[in-house]
Amino acid sequence: MRSTPSFTSERTADLAAMAAAYRAGLASALAAWPVLLGRAIFYGVCLMVLVSFWDKVAAARLPGTLATRLPPGGLGVYIGVTEWITLSIPAVQLRLEDDIRSGALEPHLLRPKPYLAQMLAGEAGAMSARLAMLGAAGLALLIVTGRAMPAPFALVSAGVLGVVGATMGLLLYTLVGLTAFWLRRVLPVLLIMQKLIFILGGLFAPISLYPGWLHTLAAASPFAAHLGFAGQAVLAPSLEGFEQALAAQTVWLVVLGGAAALIWRAGLTKLLKTGI
Amino acid sequence: MTPAITVQELRKSYRFSRRRRGALGALAGLFHPDIVDLEAVAGVSFDIAAGERVAIIGPNGAGKSTTLKMLCGVLEPSGGDAKVLGHTPWRERRALAYEIGVVFGQRTQLWTELPVRDSFALLRRIYDQESAAFARRRDDLVERFGVAGLLEQPVARLSLGQRMRCEIVASLLHAPRLLFLDEPTIGLDVTAKAAIRDFIREQSANEGQTVLLTSHDTRDIELVCERVIVINAGRIVLDQPTDQLRRRFIARKLVTLRSQSPTLTLEMPGVSRRPSEPHTTVLDIDTRETRIEAVVAAALALGGIDDVTVEDPPMEEVIHEIYAVLHK
Repeated sequence: MRSTPSFTSERTADLAAMAAAYRAGLASALAAWPVLLGRAIFYGVCLMVLVSFWDKVAAARLPGTLATRLPPGGLGVYIGVTEWITLSIPAVQLRLEDDIRSGALEPHLLRPKPYLAQMLAGEAGAMSARLAMLGAAGLALLIVTGRAMPAPFALVSAGVLGVVGATMGLLLYTLVGLTAFWLRRVLPVLLIMQKLIFILGGLFAPISLYPGWLHTLAAASPFAAHLGFAGQAVLAPSLEGFEQALAAQTVWLVVLGGAAALIWRAGLTKLLKTGI
Repeated sequence: MTPAITVQELRKSYRFSRRRRGALGALAGLFHPDIVDLEAVAGVSFDIAAGERVAIIGPNGAGKSTTLKMLCGVLEPSGGDAKVLGHTPWRERRALAYEIGVVFGQRTQLWTELPVRDSFALLRRIYDQESAAFARRRDDLVERFGVAGLLEQPVARLSLGQRMRCEIVASLLHAPRLLFLDEPTIGLDVTAKAAIRDFIREQSANEGQTVLLTSHDTRDIELVCERVIVINAGRIVLDQPTDQLRRRFIARKLVTLRSQSPTLTLEMPGVSRRPSEPHTTVLDIDTRETRIEAVVAAALALGGIDDVTVEDPPMEEVIHEIYAVLHK
């Protein structure tokens, strides 16, 4: 009953299976709409707290503080964008850790489609639902609170860079999860990754405000491409900046995807030799 | 018959560093690790013909799951060779995957958050099945396994018995020639176990599927399989038809009687009493000498019986008995 390769190539069949997994992930995330709604409320609460804090700092206009170098109210939208990305990424590292440690991975390895690609496609589906829900919640908050709406170009470019950045985040957390092949528990690696994202990614503050050397380091890392670039698009929107950011993200996507594939292969080789 | 599985001197050993006691021992282990080799499978050989239903049994740690994993392709052997449907499993895992179905009793292969129907639809893509042919086979299996009423329910909301029926349907959707079943009835109640066994036996008989099953439940083996391979300490200790095994080793039953009086006395041939608590009497019955009905009838005739249960002896005891007989 299996289709022969002449009917459809193996690669096309793999992509069709990934598309099916993506749709399934999207459908199950939408079916669990109360969870999505809860996440949107959490996003709203986070924004209210963080934005009101930074608004106070900005209002003080203390000489020498970061806030004096930001456009008025700009940091609120920046935080909205970076938190939108952060809260949309599924905890793929926990799923990988659980599957690898518990042996739940084995039934998946007995299928003709690659586990990692299928799993990531499903998680990307779930992430899409979150991006849409939280994006809508963020825009609604902007309107309700009466804040200045960024220019349409800034919104669109932040949206595009945000979606690509979230995909990068999925791959970064995948790398963390894959360390379970060797470490069994991924928490130590996760903590390091989270700190790097916090500082170099610009979750703490826009990297454009950092001292020169730190800014250069952050801008050259995948963490800024994951979070900071999309936030920067609303602080200082420009077509040139958008193109450069998108190009850098594309390069990082390829690098991270390749790294994930290599680490997966190494982990699988170990697993097939030593078992779970 | 053509062999579906050929196994020759298959071996698997693990090398690991043994942890020493205490903090100082752990520190010393960093510089001078105590390397230990563990032989999980020590050279097993057997053939399984196409359409045959075979059980691999053995106590925990005997090497049966390791053998099964090597035959599925998720574990590379340390030595020996195996062919499963013409494939070397650990080198051709992907090609083999299209031709085998697998059920792990303790692990789900369905997507727990999705409705059963959507899980099946995803499997169609994973196994590159043509839509119309897949739909016909799915509908046929859904009817045969009685899961039509479960299709719209998320897998997470199914009972264990319902889920297992769906798991077996899922494993058969791509019309595999060989079915690997690892503890397919574990955790199920008596009725669900019986249903699963009937389904597997009928399915295999109807479609000529080869079945390789591991279980700790002797009834799974008796009712599904026609041949039994007993593994212990990584070696095959017995390989014979189930009928012969039943006559020689699975002729015992355990009858537990709960009574109002603290003790019961029942003297019958082939019936021995096991140590038990007051008001509970556990009888070990050799069914070749005395039938279960006769024992239960005699016990009820004594009066004051609150409850009666009939069970198979644990697999460990069966293996122990096999060992005792083989080493006489």
